[in-house]
Amino acid sequence: MSAVCILTPVVIMAWPAFSAAVVAAASSLGYQVAAEVNSQRPGEAVRKQTGGVQLEIERSEVVTNQLGRDQRIAVSREGVTVTFSRDARGKASLCVIGNGRSDEALRALGEELSQAVVQQYVYQKLMDEMRSRGFNVVEEEVSQDRSIRLKVRHWEN
Amino acid sequence: MPQREFEITIGRTGEVELHVKGFKGKGCLAAVKIFEEIVGEMKSQQQTSEFYEPEEQVQYRIDQRH
Repeated sequence: MSAVCILTPVVIMAWPAFSAAVVAAASSLGYQVAAEVNSQRPGEAVRKQTGGVQLEIERSEVVTNQLGRDQRIAVSREGVTVTFSRDARGKASLCVIGNGRSDEALRALGEELSQAVVQQYVYQKLMDEMRSRGFNVVEEEVSQDRSIRLKVRHWEN
Repeated sequence: MPQREFEITIGRTGEVELHVKGFKGKGCLAAVKIFEEIVGEMKSQQQTSEFYEPEEQVQYRIDQRH
């Protein structure tokens, strides 16, 4: 072994990739897509939610070339709805609402889901980039703690 | 051609732990740089004893036959 390092992800992606990561992460945690909005006029199809818990994904940037579009995706599970969107600064943000649940409980659910979105983003980006650079994934497994383990080989000239 | 092996663990928060194997010397830094570009910021890095070994050299012998 030559080196061991820890990398903190920086999430930079366009809305379609972000939306796909949200769907994949949500499905893995038992959520279902409630609504996806890609409207020219903000708030046209879905009213902006008030109340609930607002969170943002650290070190994230959702890139768009469609300024002014209201892009958001909502997923729900057991009475809890989590709506992901791009905030005014371009960061990925989420709003968690659910009747009869404390803010702490909603925050925990939001953090669990947003972490799963980041994990899904990192997994997809690593797989795409490694494939394009000629790396071979020889083992892949998901542990009980939901971490993803990959063994990768590369032959160098 | 030397084979390089990487063990990658994507934690449930998205943090990535990378074990780079099969390098001698500072060649592993270039490999680590690739993953840094893909994933994001380096939080910590620890070199193991192989890092301080001499870098690999490949020698080719060419025989000319008449």
